[in-house]
Amino acid sequence: MEYYFGILQNIGFHTLLGLSAYLLLLTGQLSMAQVGFFAIGAYASGILTVIYGINIFLALGVGAIIASFFAFLVGFPALRIKGLMLVIATIAFSEIVRLYFFNLRWLVEKDGVEVGPDGAQGFREIRYFAANGWEPSHIVSFIWIVVILVLFALWWLDRVKAGSVLRAVGEDELAAQSSGINLTVVKVSAMTGGGFIAGIAGGLYAHSTTYVDHNSFTILLATFAVAYPILGGLKNVFGTLFAVIFIQGILIEGLRFLGDYRNLLFGLLIILVMNFYPKGLINIPIFNWSKLFKRRDL
Amino acid sequence: MSFGLIDILQSLIDGILFGSIYALIGLGFTLIFGAMEKLNMAYAASSIGGAYVGLGLATLFSLPLFLVFLIGPIAAGLISILVYLVSFRLIPSTNHLGSLMASIGALFFIDEVIIHETQGSPLTFPELGIFAEAYFMLGDLGFRGDLIFIMIFGLISMGVIIYLLYYTRLGLATRAVSQQNVAARLCGIPIHTINISTFVLAGILGGFAGCMAAASVGVISPLLTIPITIKGLIAAVIGGLGSIRGAIIAGLMIGGVENFFLLVRGVNERDIYVFLLLFVFLVLRPNGLFGNEINRD
Amino acid sequence: MLKIKNIGKNFGGVKAVDDLSFNVDKGEIVGLIGPNGSGKSTTINLICGVFPVDFGNISVNEQNISSLPTHERVASGISRTFQNIRLFKDLSVWQNIWVALQQDSDQSSGWMREWFGNSKLQKEKIKEILVFSGLGDRFDDLAGNLSFGEQRRLELARAIASKPKLILLDEPAAGMNSDEVADLRQRILDLKKLGLTVLLVEHVMELVMNVVDRIVVLNFGKKIAEGSPENIQNNKDVQKAYLGGA
Ligand SMILES: Nc1ncnc2c1ncn2[C@@H]1O[C@H](COP(=O)(O)OP(=O)(O)OP(=O)(O)O)[C@@H](O)[C@H]1O
Ligand SMILES: [Mg+2]
Repeated sequence: MEYYFGILQNIGFHTLLGLSAYLLLLTGQLSMAQVGFFAIGAYASGILTVIYGINIFLALGVGAIIASFFAFLVGFPALRIKGLMLVIATIAFSEIVRLYFFNLRWLVEKDGVEVGPDGAQGFREIRYFAANGWEPSHIVSFIWIVVILVLFALWWLDRVKAGSVLRAVGEDELAAQSSGINLTVVKVSAMTGGGFIAGIAGGLYAHSTTYVDHNSFTILLATFAVAYPILGGLKNVFGTLFAVIFIQGILIEGLRFLGDYRNLLFGLLIILVMNFYPKGLINIPIFNWSKLFKRRDL
Repeated sequence: MSFGLIDILQSLIDGILFGSIYALIGLGFTLIFGAMEKLNMAYAASSIGGAYVGLGLATLFSLPLFLVFLIGPIAAGLISILVYLVSFRLIPSTNHLGSLMASIGALFFIDEVIIHETQGSPLTFPELGIFAEAYFMLGDLGFRGDLIFIMIFGLISMGVIIYLLYYTRLGLATRAVSQQNVAARLCGIPIHTINISTFVLAGILGGFAGCMAAASVGVISPLLTIPITIKGLIAAVIGGLGSIRGAIIAGLMIGGVENFFLLVRGVNERDIYVFLLLFVFLVLRPNGLFGNEINRD
Repeated sequence: MLKIKNIGKNFGGVKAVDDLSFNVDKGEIVGLIGPNGSGKSTTINLICGVFPVDFGNISVNEQNISSLPTHERVASGISRTFQNIRLFKDLSVWQNIWVALQQDSDQSSGWMREWFGNSKLQKEKIKEILVFSGLGDRFDDLAGNLSFGEQRRLELARAIASKPKLILLDEPAAGMNSDEVADLRQRILDLKKLGLTVLLVEHVMELVMNVVDRIVVLNFGKKIAEGSPENIQNNKDVQKAYLGGA
């Protein structure tokens, strides 16, 4: 059972991470910074529960707000640079964040033991859940409630004007501006929202694994984050969810018997999909079940 | 820690010399960008991959070690062709996202093949023969022979590429393709051949850089890929995407900055400052040192 | 209504627009013509703020808009269509309008309602605009699936949706057959009836001569003539500019 809980949790974090990148991709921004926001959320909320002894819900919220604040700051320079340059700049951002936490030492003595981020040793003993008597099943449920809320929020976004505006900006910035859309507001909001989602994901991740270090926040993870919505397709949120289940559930967990050959598959999958289904797997005819979720009038 | 002016100068010298490697990688990124307006994110990975193939073949057939430096670049050139075929050839040129993602896929694929073949552990890499032993003193300052060799090699490559691009028919065609893709096609310029030649050329350069990087530290490891990718990209951006001399100068600069911060802030923090340098440029000179007004989508 | 005073724009060495001045009065339809590359689209882009003027200034209703960003110019009552159709192709027809739809000022129910609220009320208004533009039956279709003529109409409908006072049309008749041109002419006249002011950039003389009140002629970014359609047709400089080739 624990094993399946582990997989479910993992799919949960990755879905949130993918959705945070999805939100930005709607506006045409390919951001490799999501893993940076994820790391900020993880460390910030971990510090809040471990060092300040704050309640988990508050800590997750504050962690996500801190992450979204950094996303907000990244959003402004990101307005001026586009496309490939944005990719490079956000890679650099995520690496700076990772290296910052690699160097961060903030140890405090609690009940005779030193706790807190310890540089290269990582941040251990983020044990809020265990200390407060949460069962693994509670943790998984909690994570998935958050995932479903975010999925629903982004699904619902496509039913209000804001969603159309995001997609309009993603399709043609000039035409959107000429229709009266304020690009700064839209893109910075998307970045901030994406940072918030990634920040929550980070907080959940830190608390359910009880341990994070800089190696949890690599460019590979940043690539996963953008790969889910791109491979799944931007038609709707289910593409991202589907891609996460496919990659984390089937490719990585399901094919365990392949050993470390599995690691080759991720790169291969991206290459194949980009060559043959550039609009994402959800556009392959057999996956058109997504139509079931589509309201008639959209 | 205390250090004097001499230490700072010495660290800058070592850094700038080592920066030749970033310069070569940046040059490769910029060359491909210049030809296709695309980033080949797998570029540094193919360079390191080439060096691995060189080392692997030399070990397997007990070849003289200097051949590593010949096989490596050739292998990197071949890997580059493969990357072109899987990440660029079939994807329409308007789909920037597609090629970018596919080349990131190729980056991780190559990296994972290396990890798989070597169980992830670093291998010893042969040094650059007589160059590795040479060490020149100028007053109190020392110059490593192998690094000087790499730098001279980098500058010569830059000269050769500028010659190829601006004084040969192949170069004319390449520039035509990059500036007026459709028109060039209509004029009967074989775009894919041009692109492949660019990839091969860049690949060979990268293969050299990969071998040199490994030779100058004495080991090769898949952990080299990501940092070299990022620093090469930063060199290309700071130099101005598409600018050849820009990439070289920026690469040397990154080497210098890196080693300077290694001295003053230590190995764990050094890269933070290198990456921050990118943001300094994005704010102050968004088009890089030699970039012209560009709006890339 | 629109006052353009001594504006100029250089692209590298090319003087795309050079010391250009003209006015458009309220309720007027003014044609802006000239050979290829004479700076017509650039003029429109300058009015919309796609890029800033190098010098000179542009005002609408006595308000200087030269330094406003594009979306604020839209809010001050300017909208446009593009020479190469630029729709949101992956959005449906009605969503294309939705993006541009400005709320009536009298029922400003707050941005939360507008951006995150129910689409019901807005859908009625959108339907109205689409019916007016002859696209009533394409409400739910993807914009990218429309025919060329329909796409042009949708672009016009989107331009109307932002409730402009001045509308700039960049070669709306390009690629149309004569029936479609006649339909377009009627639509432009309808705009005038609604009290809109129109600046029409066009090569199709059949349209220009039959719809505009006044014509401004550009060549190499400079104004070479201005006057009624008849005057312009008989103007020697204009004939030379067109015949001599740009
Ligand atoms: N964004 C730009 N960058 C550089 N040069 C430009 C740009 N836009 C226009 N130009 C140049 O400015 C000049 C005027 O172009 P413009 O598009 O305004 O002409 P036009 O009158 O609309 O022509 P057409 O009838 O072909 O649409 C041309 O020489 C063109 O090459
Ligand atoms: Mg034009």
